[in-house]
Amino acid sequence: MLHVSITTAQQAPAGQDKLDGETLFATTCGWCHADGGREAGKGPKLANSQRTDDFIAQRIKHGKEGAMPAFGGTYNDEQIAEIIRYIRGLKDDAG
Amino acid sequence: MRNTTFATLATAALAFGATLAAAPALAQTIDTARIEAGGGNDWPTYHGNYKSYHYSTLDQINTGNVKDLQVAWMHFPGRSTRGVQSQPLAADGVLYYSGSYSRVFALNGATGELIWSYFPELDDALVARQTHSPYNRGIAIGDGKLYVGTVDGRLIALDLKTGKPAWDTKLMNSQKATVGFTGAPLFAKGTVVIGSQGGEWPGRGPIFGVDAATGKQKWQFLTAGGNDYDVAAKKTWGNDSWRTGGGGGWMTGTFDPPTNTIWWGTANPGPLYDWSGADYKTQGARPGDNLYTTSVLGLDVDTGALKFYHQELPHDAWDFDSAVGEFISIDRDGKQLMVHPNKSGFVFVYDRKNAEVENVWRMVENINFVRDITSKGELIGRRDFTAGKQDEVLCPHISGGVSWNSGSYDPKNGQYYKIGQEWCMKLSVVKTAAITEPQAQLNIGANFTIAKPPGSEIYGHLDARDPITGAKKWEVRYPEPPLSSVLSTGGNLVFVPDARGVIHAYNALDGKELWSHNDGTGHQGGIISYSAGGKQYVAVVAGFGGMATDDYSVQFGELYKSMPKDTGALIVFGLK
Ligand code: HEC
Repeated sequence: MLHVSITTAQQAPAGQDKLDGETLFATTCGWCHADGGREAGKGPKLANSQRTDDFIAQRIKHGKEGAMPAFGGTYNDEQIAEIIRYIRGLKDDAG
Repeated sequence: MRNTTFATLATAALAFGATLAAAPALAQTIDTARIEAGGGNDWPTYHGNYKSYHYSTLDQINTGNVKDLQVAWMHFPGRSTRGVQSQPLAADGVLYYSGSYSRVFALNGATGELIWSYFPELDDALVARQTHSPYNRGIAIGDGKLYVGTVDGRLIALDLKTGKPAWDTKLMNSQKATVGFTGAPLFAKGTVVIGSQGGEWPGRGPIFGVDAATGKQKWQFLTAGGNDYDVAAKKTWGNDSWRTGGGGGWMTGTFDPPTNTIWWGTANPGPLYDWSGADYKTQGARPGDNLYTTSVLGLDVDTGALKFYHQELPHDAWDFDSAVGEFISIDRDGKQLMVHPNKSGFVFVYDRKNAEVENVWRMVENINFVRDITSKGELIGRRDFTAGKQDEVLCPHISGGVSWNSGSYDPKNGQYYKIGQEWCMKLSVVKTAAITEPQAQLNIGANFTIAKPPGSEIYGHLDARDPITGAKKWEVRYPEPPLSSVLSTGGNLVFVPDARGVIHAYNALDGKELWSHNDGTGHQGGIISYSAGGKQYVAVVAGFGGMATDDYSVQFGELYKSMPKDTGALIVFGLK
């Protein structure tokens, strides 16, 4: 089983409540998926994605050579599901 | 000293002579003295010579005849994932360069004919996990070998004449740290120095000194929190946050021969953005100044001992790191100075003895992460964010007021030719936590989007400036910021390879364009000039892709939408 141990400056190790999708996204995805995934940037806009959950999960796990890193070695299925929940909840407002 | 080197080389030439295909005569070997002398027919180190001028004394190609410059030959490295970002080198008529995946080529400088190539086998699964990969930004040569780093944490030495591996040293556990080496190593006095990536990666950003003869590690300097005995540096990181502090030194610094000192710039602390608010000494993810991130270091080349440092941005909360590798040695008015651009767009001028700040000036218009940095180096009016959406845009953009590529200093006319980038970003700071298991992950701490500067469009500019005072002589503007290095030459020319793919030659005195050529795809790497068989050449790499360039398609439209991110070439120009 994959185990993710998280350390923060304030509390080490942090509780599981730190692992929500929004936090994970701002930790590792936000540089490329602009405005938290609401706008196209280096990577495509993710808000209102027509892709299936399975497609998104596969993309997160395996990445795409030269474009997006693979996260399958770091995030387990539960965390990937959390991230997908965050993406599905994105409002399509760029503001 | 020299005699021994010559003898070794002569033996090597005998041993391998039979296998060499038309290699131009190797008159001498590249050693520290030759790199120090620099100039002339060669480009023996990343920054041209140890003075980091990115300047060639050659003047065969000049303002009078540059209109007759044309493509002499080209070379395609293949598999150019994220373009070609490297700085070629040249010595004794041979051109050496690297492409993505640390592929290395030695080519006849006059004809482009292949002398040898070397493709290291990399950990592909690791490469797929890496964000800053698989590009390679350059190589070093010295003492009969060529040195190249890899994204999976190795430094490899190849025999300069045959390309055969001499040693292959695993310096860091990249499988765990997720980062490795993309920057060019630096050869100086029998030591090869290379810095790891770091920054927003929760590690400790090591810089290594390796024995050029054996490949054995001589020393390591940990940029996040210093080496183990350095208690004082660790006190600048509240709650032991140095353990995941980031740092690193991912671009090539230089060597100051008289003082035996390596000058190296370090990267930012992680997370990239902090939510401390004004009280950053006690609050946030990494309370304190966070030594030795976003600093310039003076290290003893033989031992790695820290002789002096200056932290350009204490507690960098904006990713405006000091990793830019340009350290320009200039003597003026009895002072021995070192000029170093910070990613924020401020340029620092130091005393070369001790890194005391002599002046600070602004290379770009759009800076608002501080109100100012004084001529003594003091930050005034810092913007330290709290979590949440920031009302005012942050300038410059995360890709920097200047890029990691280098400007050029013409010692004849005293002008510094440097590209500035005018852009900003909308920012929302989010509290995050460093992920270190099972392998380290990016720790950004924000969501953001590229934005126009207040009251203007995004643009880039080539400036001709006094490197000490910043006084501007002339400027050329570009609708999209160019990202590559600049070359100036003894022929009074300044070459700028731009983002669209056009290489421009300007008159060094007034910035008037004298020649241009379309290389067919964007530039974001190096450019050099050298001589082979008595003829001067200009060599440039073309090929787009990577973190800064990936914003161009959405921001600037069609030309960049269809611009490949997996191709590139080396293009070499000579006179008709
Ligand atoms: C280094 C930049 C980068 C990082 C970091 C990154 N991505 Fe991506 N992502 C991209 C790029 C570029 C693409 C487009 C790939 C393609 O199809 O060419 C992409 C594609 C995607 C897609 C598919 C979109 C589609 O409709 O085709 C999803 C979903 C996605 N990313 C989610 C994530 C998540 C979640 C994270 C963090 C765990 C993340 N990305 C981190 C750059 C990045």
